[in-house]
Amino acid sequence: MSQPLLQVSDISKRFGGLRALSGVSLTVAAGEIVGLIGPNGAGKTTLFSTLVGLHRPDSGAIRLNGKDLVGLKPHRIAAAGMVKTFQNVALFLDFSVLDNVLTGGLLHLSVTEARDLARRCLEQVGIAGIADKLARDLSFPERARVEVARALCTQPKVLLLDEAMAALNHVEMDAFIALLRQLRGEGLTLVIVEHHMRAIMSLCDRIVVLNFGQLIATGTPAEVSRDPAVIQAYLGSSAA
Amino acid sequence: MNRSTLLRGLGLAVLLAVAVATPFLLDPRGYAIRVVCLALLFAAMAQCWNIVAGLANQVSLGHAAFFGIGAYTSTLLLIHFGLSPWLGMLVGAVLGGIAAFLISLPTMRLKGHYFALATLAFGEVMRVIANSWSGLTGGPVGISVPFAPPSFAMMQFKETRPYYWLMLAALVVVTLVFVAIRRSKLGYRLRAIKENADAAEVIGVDTTRTKITAAVISGMLTACLGTLYAQFQFFFDPDTVFGVASISVRMAMIAIVGGIGTAAGPILGAFFVIPLEEFANDLFSSRAAGLSQLVFGVLLIGVILIEPRGFMALGSRIRRLFGKGGRP
Repeated sequence: MSQPLLQVSDISKRFGGLRALSGVSLTVAAGEIVGLIGPNGAGKTTLFSTLVGLHRPDSGAIRLNGKDLVGLKPHRIAAAGMVKTFQNVALFLDFSVLDNVLTGGLLHLSVTEARDLARRCLEQVGIAGIADKLARDLSFPERARVEVARALCTQPKVLLLDEAMAALNHVEMDAFIALLRQLRGEGLTLVIVEHHMRAIMSLCDRIVVLNFGQLIATGTPAEVSRDPAVIQAYLGSSAA
Repeated sequence: MNRSTLLRGLGLAVLLAVAVATPFLLDPRGYAIRVVCLALLFAAMAQCWNIVAGLANQVSLGHAAFFGIGAYTSTLLLIHFGLSPWLGMLVGAVLGGIAAFLISLPTMRLKGHYFALATLAFGEVMRVIANSWSGLTGGPVGISVPFAPPSFAMMQFKETRPYYWLMLAALVVVTLVFVAIRRSKLGYRLRAIKENADAAEVIGVDTTRTKITAAVISGMLTACLGTLYAQFQFFFDPDTVFGVASISVRMAMIAIVGGIGTAAGPILGAFFVIPLEEFANDLFSSRAAGLSQLVFGVLLIGVILIEPRGFMALGSRIRRLFGKGGRP
């Protein structure tokens, strides 16, 4: 395999006395879909926030296409091609859906070009019909999709999705899984945090498991689901 | 172009024509036209303030600093070098922009009250400097704009009417700048910062740079208006042009009363606040000291209590009441 697109080496992050991440290393190849799982409080969201520059790691390196990202502000990392969505969904609530997505497009485009791309992104995500609605009037699943569309509109190389499927029903989730496969087919690389195992198992090429801020397993979905350390982390020691 | 934008354009054209013709209805040497001039000027000032505060929600209470810089720069250049106030205005704009840049560097990371207090302090520092550096500014005694033969080139006129048109032009220009910014990349970014700064950063908005850019534009325009004020009043002192209550807070208040973040808000606000203030002064100041300010304050509090988002929001509330579905 050639040089990985995203290379995370030995990063640690501490909040006061809490070790949120300790020595986490992982690589993501171009075009891969990697699942990031682990019990609540394992450090998944912290890892995402650190990758996009909202937190600065205490040590370690993050490389995208060989370029060191540690210490860069989030907008620089977005310009380099890595964007995340937020676990609680962080839309611009007083913006229309179209303006939300358009704002992402401004990273590389003029307002007019960004508006065109935003319409295409909305269509891609399957919500072109609500383009003129105000973001604050949307349901939670709709908001999550708008946020994905907004992230796509920045034209990223790597997209980090933090529980974007949290509030979806089965039908919606299937559509969303199909969307992510399609995006990957178009060359996007995805890292997803998800609690829906069905989605993770059917979608991911590889799964990385975090527990208490440490990487405890990595492998294909089949390998990881048989891993004793993973079973223990999820179900407790007596089950292993 | 659809019908509603056409009607709107037509309405604005009529409004502008009326505004241009208004001085012919007023006594050119009277008091009313001076009040209207001030209302136009303060509308323009509040519009400048609106660029940063209205779009990005960075509420500054120090804009008097830029205003005073503009007033003193052109006046001092006129006194010492006989420089036309038009050129003085440009120099003042550059200095105002530099001041905005320098104050933004440390304060733009601050939010809400912290930003407001930091800018308030900056304005006060400028006032103290102007008061104590008498060698340059004349100090607390104030400074007079030297009389020149009335001409457009020297921005001095015999009558009040040309000043009126000058103020009106300034208001139109500043409002156009505000509208253009709001529709531009900068405007989207500023509003995104107001909505959610973290999310804006993550999708590629350089929040620091965006806010500083807006602050510099706002500071430059405010400085230009300081020059207009100096030429209109012919005399000023540090406490008037660098004043917290007389300038900084008033700019903010006018925009807030009218409707923060909207283009029409500062204009509505100024034409409510400035005449109201004059009216209160006229009616009550002879009866008891401070009574006029009290009445003025009570009325303002009343307006804010009825609709904290200003007249613009009140307007859309009334439209909805009559079933004409305006957005909040």
